Amino acid sequence: MRRGKREISIFSGKGLYGALVRLVAFSLLWAVLTQGGGGWIIGVPAVVLATFLSLGLHAPISWRWRPMGVLRFIPYFLWQSLRGGIDVSRRALHPKLPIDPAVVHHTLLLPPGPSQVFFANTINLLPGTLSADLHEGHLTIHMLDAGLEYVMELKRVEERVADLFGVELKRR
Amino acid sequence: MTMSEFYFGYALFLLLTVAISLIRVLRGPTSGDRMLSAQLFGTSGVGILLLLGRGMEMPALWDVALVFALLAAVAAVAFVQRVWKSGEQKEAKSDAS
Amino acid sequence: MPLNEWIGLLFILAAAPFFLAGSVGLLRFPDLYCRLHALTKADNIGLGLLILGLMIQSLSLADFLKLLLIWLLVLLAGSTAAHLVARSALRQGRKPWERR
Repeated sequence: MRRGKREISIFSGKGLYGALVRLVAFSLLWAVLTQGGGGWIIGVPAVVLATFLSLGLHAPISWRWRPMGVLRFIPYFLWQSLRGGIDVSRRALHPKLPIDPAVVHHTLLLPPGPSQVFFANTINLLPGTLSADLHEGHLTIHMLDAGLEYVMELKRVEERVADLFGVELKRR
Repeated sequence: MTMSEFYFGYALFLLLTVAISLIRVLRGPTSGDRMLSAQLFGTSGVGILLLLGRGMEMPALWDVALVFALLAAVAAVAFVQRVWKSGEQKEAKSDAS
Repeated sequence: MPLNEWIGLLFILAAAPFFLAGSVGLLRFPDLYCRLHALTKADNIGLGLLILGLMIQSLSLADFLKLLLIWLLVLLAGSTAAHLVARSALRQGRKPWERR
């Protein structure tokens, strides 16, 4: 993941928007941490500091989730990660230890950027897949069981992630 | 059994699973494997703190759990960046098992 | 005890096998990569169920948000750490174990 180094002033339109988004996000975070209990005398300076610090560390990137995509993604993700947990737990506790690991390669159809990283992180929690390397759109995946139907499954996850980010999948 | 005893016992059970995983620290074989136990301690530790916070009715323990979760993330990344990448080239050569 | 506390209790109890399986997998699985599977998936679901149970018991929005934040943090940490550890191991040339 290499980002181009670009300076964005918070006084430009785009920079100001990014700064505002973070200011709001950190304020909400403070509210959650204090459970709405206030303490804004410490909270306001902390939020402002955090906003400047985070802008210094990481320039605003275009990262947008579609609200409807989020609504569709959450139940899918929860269900699949529950399946993933049950699957690996069953294998770990089974007397015969039924695993047959293999390394497979998957060429991503998602466009380069945050959606690829998000995809790589997501499949770590799904049944039997562990992303081991992501390089220029090629993902190296460690499979807990080579016999699993993973090609279709990964394609389906990619479709979900594309729906979440509102991006188009490449056609092969 | 009172409810707070239940949460206490549950937390003790989680502590036991952490203790089991510590055998992995002894066996290794690589420091990456040892790191996994530390990682597991992070997740289970959060669980233990949440249960204790519930059982003892001490909401502050949930804040401790939150800090635990944050530290676990930082520790894992720092480990890979600093310790494993720089220090283990020799380990990789000497360790064939 | 109110009904929601009982239902929450069921979820909390359902988490136990996952925590156990995570530790057992860490011991029994033959190599680092397989152990990573056990660690990330089993423990995160265990904690997820535990947190869901506590949410149902508490029924307060403030608690709900804080617990959600904790779970998301652990999820993100677990998933990212798994990827980084697996990547380092692969780049160091550690061959994954295979059944033959």
